[in-house]
Amino acid sequence: MQTKIGKALVIGAGISGIRAALDLAEFGYGVTLIERSPHIGGILSQLDYQFPTDRCGMCKMLPLVERDAGSQFCLRKGLFHDNIDIKLSTELASVEGEPGDFKVTLRQEPNPVDAARCIGCGKCVDVCPVTVADEFNAGLTTRKAIYLPVPHTIPNPYRIDTAACTQCGACQEVCPTEAIRLVDEGRKDFNILVVDDELIVRDSLKEWLEEEGGFHVSMAESGQEALQHLKTETCHLMLLDIKMPGMDGVEVLEKAKELFPDLPVVMMTAYATVETAVEAMKIGARDYLIKPFDTDALIPKVIQIYQTLSTPPGPELEVGAIVMSGGTSYYNPADGKDTYSYGSLPDVVTSLEFERLFSGTGPNGGQLLRPSDGRPIRRIAWLQCVGSRDMQSNADFCSNICCMYAIKEANVARERAARAGTELETSIYYMDMRTFGKSFQRYRDRSEASGVAFKRGRVHSVEPDLQANDLQLRWADIDGNVAVDHVDLVVLSVGQRPAEGTQALTETLGIGLNPWGFPQTEPFSLTRTERDGIVAAGSFAGLKDISESVTQASAAALAASTTIHNAGGSIGLKDQPEAIYADVSRETPRILVTVCTCSEAVTQGVDQKALTHHLKSDPAVDRVEFLDGTCTAEGWDKLVALVKQHRPNRLLIGACLPYVYARKLKALGTEVGLDPRLMEVVDIRTPVFQAAREDAPEGTEPSAVTVQRLLAMAVARLRRISPAPVATVPVFQQTLVVGGGIAGMTAALAIADHGFTVDLVEKDKALGGNLQWLSKTIDGQDIRAFLEDTRNRVTGHPQINLHLDTRVIAAFGQAGTFYSTLEDGDGNAVQVNHGATILATGGHEAATTAYGFGTSPRIVTQQNLEAQLHDGTLDPTQLHTVAMIQCVDSREEPRNYCSRVCCSTSLKHAQALKAANPSLRIVVFYRDMMSYGFMESYFTEARKSGITFIPYTLDRRPAVAADGTDGDRVTVSGYEPIIGQPVEMTADLVVLATGIVPELPGELADAYGVARDEDNFFQEAESKWRPVDALKEGVFACGICQAPRNIHESIATAEAAAERALRILGRERLPSGTIVARIHESLCSLCERCVEACPYGARSLDPENERIVVNPAMCQGCGACAATCPNNAAYIEGFDAEQLMDVIDAALN
Amino acid sequence: MAITATIEVNQQDLLTSLKAFCTKLLEQDAISAILVPQRLPMKSMVMPTLVTEADHLDGVDPLSPAFPMNGAKVLAKLTRRPSGGKIAAIMRPCEIRAFIELVKLKQARTEDVVLIGMDCLGAYGNTDYFRFAGEDAEAATRRFYESVLAGKGAALDGVDLTTACQACEAPFPTSADIAIGLHGVDTGRHLLVLGQTPAGDDLLQQMGLPSSEVPTERQAIMDQLRTSREKYRDDMFAATAAATDNIDKLNTYLANCVNCYNCRVACPVCYCKECVFVTDVFNHDPSQYLRWAKRKGAVKMPTDTVFYHLTRLTHMSTACVGCGQCSNACPNDIPVMELFRMVAHNTQRAFAYEAGNSVDEKPPLSEFKEDEFQEVVGL
Repeated sequence: MQTKIGKALVIGAGISGIRAALDLAEFGYGVTLIERSPHIGGILSQLDYQFPTDRCGMCKMLPLVERDAGSQFCLRKGLFHDNIDIKLSTELASVEGEPGDFKVTLRQEPNPVDAARCIGCGKCVDVCPVTVADEFNAGLTTRKAIYLPVPHTIPNPYRIDTAACTQCGACQEVCPTEAIRLVDEGRKDFNILVVDDELIVRDSLKEWLEEEGGFHVSMAESGQEALQHLKTETCHLMLLDIKMPGMDGVEVLEKAKELFPDLPVVMMTAYATVETAVEAMKIGARDYLIKPFDTDALIPKVIQIYQTLSTPPGPELEVGAIVMSGGTSYYNPADGKDTYSYGSLPDVVTSLEFERLFSGTGPNGGQLLRPSDGRPIRRIAWLQCVGSRDMQSNADFCSNICCMYAIKEANVARERAARAGTELETSIYYMDMRTFGKSFQRYRDRSEASGVAFKRGRVHSVEPDLQANDLQLRWADIDGNVAVDHVDLVVLSVGQRPAEGTQALTETLGIGLNPWGFPQTEPFSLTRTERDGIVAAGSFAGLKDISESVTQASAAALAASTTIHNAGGSIGLKDQPEAIYADVSRETPRILVTVCTCSEAVTQGVDQKALTHHLKSDPAVDRVEFLDGTCTAEGWDKLVALVKQHRPNRLLIGACLPYVYARKLKALGTEVGLDPRLMEVVDIRTPVFQAAREDAPEGTEPSAVTVQRLLAMAVARLRRISPAPVATVPVFQQTLVVGGGIAGMTAALAIADHGFTVDLVEKDKALGGNLQWLSKTIDGQDIRAFLEDTRNRVTGHPQINLHLDTRVIAAFGQAGTFYSTLEDGDGNAVQVNHGATILATGGHEAATTAYGFGTSPRIVTQQNLEAQLHDGTLDPTQLHTVAMIQCVDSREEPRNYCSRVCCSTSLKHAQALKAANPSLRIVVFYRDMMSYGFMESYFTEARKSGITFIPYTLDRRPAVAADGTDGDRVTVSGYEPIIGQPVEMTADLVVLATGIVPELPGELADAYGVARDEDNFFQEAESKWRPVDALKEGVFACGICQAPRNIHESIATAEAAAERALRILGRERLPSGTIVARIHESLCSLCERCVEACPYGARSLDPENERIVVNPAMCQGCGACAATCPNNAAYIEGFDAEQLMDVIDAALN
Repeated sequence: MAITATIEVNQQDLLTSLKAFCTKLLEQDAISAILVPQRLPMKSMVMPTLVTEADHLDGVDPLSPAFPMNGAKVLAKLTRRPSGGKIAAIMRPCEIRAFIELVKLKQARTEDVVLIGMDCLGAYGNTDYFRFAGEDAEAATRRFYESVLAGKGAALDGVDLTTACQACEAPFPTSADIAIGLHGVDTGRHLLVLGQTPAGDDLLQQMGLPSSEVPTERQAIMDQLRTSREKYRDDMFAATAAATDNIDKLNTYLANCVNCYNCRVACPVCYCKECVFVTDVFNHDPSQYLRWAKRKGAVKMPTDTVFYHLTRLTHMSTACVGCGQCSNACPNDIPVMELFRMVAHNTQRAFAYEAGNSVDEKPPLSEFKEDEFQEVVGL
C-alpha cells in the first residue's frame, strides 16, 4: 500500500488510542501504538455491554478504507494493521526534540514467556503455586502468577507477573515448547545494600530478598559503614533506614548521592516519619517503604525497581507527533472514609466490579450471584456520584459517564434475569440524572418504562440487616423524607480520576495539568496542549464517554496529523514495487499441502500415508509434504524450497497461529510470483488440542480425523479460488463543507491545512453561524475574538473556495466521487466535484410559546438575554428578581432530548448578572442540572453565591403569568420540594432555556444519501463507534446538526469529521478490500433486493445500462446482498457458492 | 368515493355479459388492450389473450375451470417497461397476488395496468379439465359456473377442484383495482362491479356502468366460504406436516422428483432469470458423484432433488400466493403445493407478511430490523 513518511506515537491502546492510531494509519502514516498493560482495549476489554444497543459493537471501528491493510475481526480480540506497530507492556521513557521531529525512547517490560513459542496449553498454570487477585475481574477472582491477562485476545500468550512470581521454576519444567525462560540470572548479580541499625531488620530483609527475590544482599548497621561499603563494592540499590543513631538516613542519602548520583535509594521509615521520607524523595530518594514491612508488598516493589533498572531502555523512535491516550482510572471507594461500607461488606461493589460480576467471562459465568454467599441476586441498588460531585473526595466535577452506565447495567441485568425467568428489582439513587448525550434521555425513559426505578435523593448509609440477610439502605428523598430500602447488592457508581501515571507522563512530555489533575488543553480545544505536536485523546484529558472519546481521538489524530504534515510527513513513499503474480486462472489447480509436525497433538495418531492418500484423492492436490517447525526460520526455508521446486499454483499450509504467516506469505508470493490469495494457512493444532489431552472427554473426535477434515476443507476452498484484481475507485482529492459556522470553518481549515482544496458553502452572507450572537464562554474566553480570528484564517486561506449566500441545490455521488451543484443568491449555479462531504449545517435556538413567551417583553430566551447583556440594553443593576426556567419544551416528547448547552448557559448568565448586581435574586427552575464534567464547579460556585435552584418535575411545572400594561408585571410560581410549599415571585426578567433544534434539510440529507434521526439531527453510522460518519462512507457531519454541543465540542467533532474525510482524500484512488461484492450480470434479474439490503449504500441500479453496480470502495464485504440474492447473481469475491458447498461437503466427509 | 356498479346479465348468460363488459373496456380511451382468458379457437383450452380489437372477444371466458398457467408472469412481461399503452387485465385473485409480488421484485410495473379481478370459482387440474370439457369448452364453462353459483358445488363428472383451490381461503380479488363480485349477487340478473382503488374508480367512472349497492348478504357468504376453506387448508397442513416432519419422511415425500424443474417454471413468483440449480453451482464435477456414492455406498440419482425444493422454499415461500400451479405442473404427482403452502403460511405469518396483499408492503428480506427474532438469532 502507499504509505507516507510521517510517523506518530500513540500512548495507550484503549479505545481512544486505537481510534487515533487507525485514523492516522488509514491516512497513510506509520503509527507506533504503545500500551503499558499486556493487552489492548483498555477498560473496554472488561466491559461487555454498551448502551444504547446493550451490546458491544467495538468492531464497527475497524478500518473501512483499504480494509485489507488491517484485520477484520473482533477488535476486542486484537488489532492488526500494516501501518500500526503495537508494543504491549511498554511505556514512554523519554522524549526529546521538537514538533514534527521528536526522538522518543520506550521501555518495554520483559516477559519470560516467549510469545512465539507459547502455544497456550495452560500446563504452566496448573503447576504455578502462586495465587493473586485477578485484575481482569476487578479482584473478584484469583489467578496464578503465570496467567492470561485477558481471556480473549489474539495472539494470547501467557504472561508472568514478575512481581508475584517466586521463580520456583515449576512452569518452566512443564512447558512443552520451552517457551519459558524464568530464571533471571541478573538478580544474583544485583547487589542490594540494606542499611539499618537494627539487626533483626537487616537479617530479615536479607533473608527475604535473597530467598524470595533471588538478589544478592549486603548489609551495613550505620551510615558510616554504608558509605564505606559503597566505596568498596558496587551497589545497585540501597535500602536506607531514616532513623539511625549518629548519621541519620537523610544525611546518608545526601552524602551517597554526592558520591554516586545515579544510585537508586529507597528509604525505610516508620509511620511517624513518613513526611521525612517524602522530603527525602525530593532530594533524590526513589521511593520509600513503611515499617513494619508487608513482605507481599516489599518484594514486588524491589523487583519492580530491579526490572526498571535492568531493562535496557529502547527501542528508540523518531516520530512527528505524540498522541496521549492513556484513558482514566476510577475512584476507589476504599480511599474514602468508609464509603458506604465498601470493603467491609462484600455485597457493596463498584460499578466496574459489577460489570465483571455479570460478564460471561466473570466469576460466575454471567450469573447474578451475591459475592457474600453466592445466593441469586433479586434486588440491586445503584448509588450515583460516588467520587464525583463530591468535595470530600476532592471531586468538584461530574464524571459524565456514571448515570448512563448505571442505567445500562440496570437494563442489561434486568434483561439477563428476565431470560432466566426471574424478576430483578433495580433502583438508581441519584441527585441529577445527567442524560445530556444524544438519545440518552429516551434511553432513560425507555428504561424507566421497562421497570428501572429512579429514586432521587441521597443515600445516607448502607448497613447489613442480619435478620433479613440483606443490605439496608437509609436514604432521604428530594422532599426530605427518610426511607429504608432493602437490597441484595449495592453498586457504587464510581467516578473518573486521572489515569495512573498521568503526572509522570505529562512531566516527561512537558505538559501542564488542570486543577483536577488532567492534562490542560488549549482554549477552544479539547485535544491540543501547550506543546505543538503533543495532543490528548479521549478520556485521558478528562471525563469522556465512549462516543466522545472516539470523537476526540479522531480530533487528536487530526492535530497530530497537521503537525506531521507541516513537518513534511505527508510526502508519500512510492508504492512498494508491485508484485507480479502469474495468472493461474486457466490452469488446473495444483495444490502443495504441507503439514507441520512439530505439535504432538497433531502427529499423535496421524498416519502420514493415509492422510496423503486421502488428500490426493482430490485431483487438485499435487503433493503432500510433512515439515517440522514450519514457523521457524529453518522450517520456512524448507517450505520455500519445496515451493520453488514443485511450482504449485496453490499452497496450503497446515500449522498453527495463521496470523503469524501473513507477512511471510506476502514475501513468498513476491519471490515466486504466486498471489498470496492462493495460499492459505489452516490451524490444525488448536482444534485437536482437546483430543490430545489425556483427560479428553469420551467421544472426542480423534486428532487424525479432525486434521484430515480441516485440510480437506481448506483444499476445497483453495481449489476454487481465482483471485480477481483488487478494484479501486477514483478520488476527487477535495472536499465540500456545507455550513460556515464554527464547525464548518474548523473542518474546512483542517483539511485545507493538509493541502487539499475545500469548497465551503454558507447560506448566509457572513461566516460564523451561532457564534455571531455569542460573546464569552462560561470560563471567560472571548468568543468574538476567536470568531474573528477563525474567519480571517478561512477567508485568507489559499486552499479554501468560499461560497457565501450559497446553497447546495443538487448533489449525488459516492465516496471518492461526489458531484454537487451550488447556487448563489443571484441564481448563478456552479458544479463542484469532491471526494468527501462534510455536513455542518448547524442549528438554532428553538422557538417557543410556552411560559407566556411573546406576552411580555420581560419574558425572553437565552439568546435574547445574551444579546441584551452584550449590547447593554439590559442593566442588571435595575433588576431585583430573575427567574430562569430550564428544559422549556425539551426532554419530553416530541423534543425528547437534552440540548446540553442550556444549563451551563444559565449558569453563565446567572454568574454575569450576579457579578454586575450582587444583591440580585436569581431563581433557576430545573429538572436535572446538566452541569457535566468540569462545568460542575460553576454549579457549585453558583449555589455558593446565593443563586436559588428549585427542581421541578413534568407534573409540577412552574407557571408564568404576565399582566399589567404590555405584560409588564410578570409572576412566576412553582413548587419548592424541600420546604414542601408553593412559591411565587414577581420577576423582572424570565429567561427561558428552549434548547437547540437542528437545521439539516431533508433534501440535502437525501441528496448525499444519509439519514436524519427522529429529531432531524444527522443520523450517524453508530452513536458510539462512528459518531461523525454517515453509514454511507464519504459523508460526515459535525457541529450541532449532528447533536447539540457547546463550542469546544463542536470544534472537536469538526476536527474528527475532517480527519475521517482525510482518510479518503489522502490518495488518488481508493482501494477496495479483496473480499468485496460482485455481480454475475448474466444471472441478474434486476429485482434490486440487493440494493435495498446493502447497509452501506454501495449498490445501485444503473438504469441506462440496466445493471446493478457496486462501488467496491464503499462495499464492506458483509454479504447481505449475497444472502438476499436467490441465484448468486450477487456474490462475494472468494465466497462462491460452488466453493462453499465444496467446503461443506469436505467438512461432512 | 369507491364506485359500486353492476353489469346486466340476461338469463344466467354470464359469458355474454362479460364479453360486453370487455367490449366496453376497449372502448375507453385510456385502455389500449385487455388481457383476458379466452377459449382457443380449435381446442378446449383457455389462455390469457391480449386483445386490442373488440371483434376478437368471442372466446372471453374468465369463468372456465381451466387454469393452465398463472397469468401474472405474462402480465409482467407486458408491463416490465412502459409499453405505450394501458392494459386492463382480468385475472384470478391468485394471479393478481402473484403479479403484485412481481411488482415488488421489480419484474413488473403497475403504472400501465388496471387489475380487474373476479370472485374465483376455482379450477380443475389440467388433465381433469380436459376430461370434463370434452369437445365443447363453452358448454363446460356454463355447466361449471351454473353448478357452483347454484350452490351445488364444483364436483362434476367425477372431477373436483384442485387441492390448492379447495384450500384457498382468499378467492376474492381484494387487491385488484376493480373487483367483479359473484358471491351473494343475483347472478341471474347482474354482476357486481366494485372500484377498489383510485385507478379502478377512474376507469369505472369513464365506463359509466349503472350504479348499485353491495348486497347485504355478500359479506356473510364470503366469510362462510373463507371459514370452510380455512378448515380444509388447516387439515391439509396437518396431514402435510405429519408426512414431512423429519428428513427421512421429507425424502420419501419428494422421492418422485426428477429435477425437471417444471414446478419452478410454473411458479408465478419464481422470477430468477436463470435458476441457481441450472447454473454451474450445481454442475458438479464427475468425481464429486463418485465421492458421494463412496461416502454411503450408494447415492440416488439425480442428486440435489430435496436440496432443490428446500432452496425454493427458502427463496420463494415469503412470496407464495397459493395458486397451486406447481402441483399442476408436476409430471410425477408430487404434492408440491401442499408442502409449499404449509411452509409459506408459516414464514409469512412469522414476518406478519401476506404475499400479494399490497405493493406498499415490503418483502421481509428487503427490510432490516435490528430487534426481531431474538429467540432465533440469540441477541
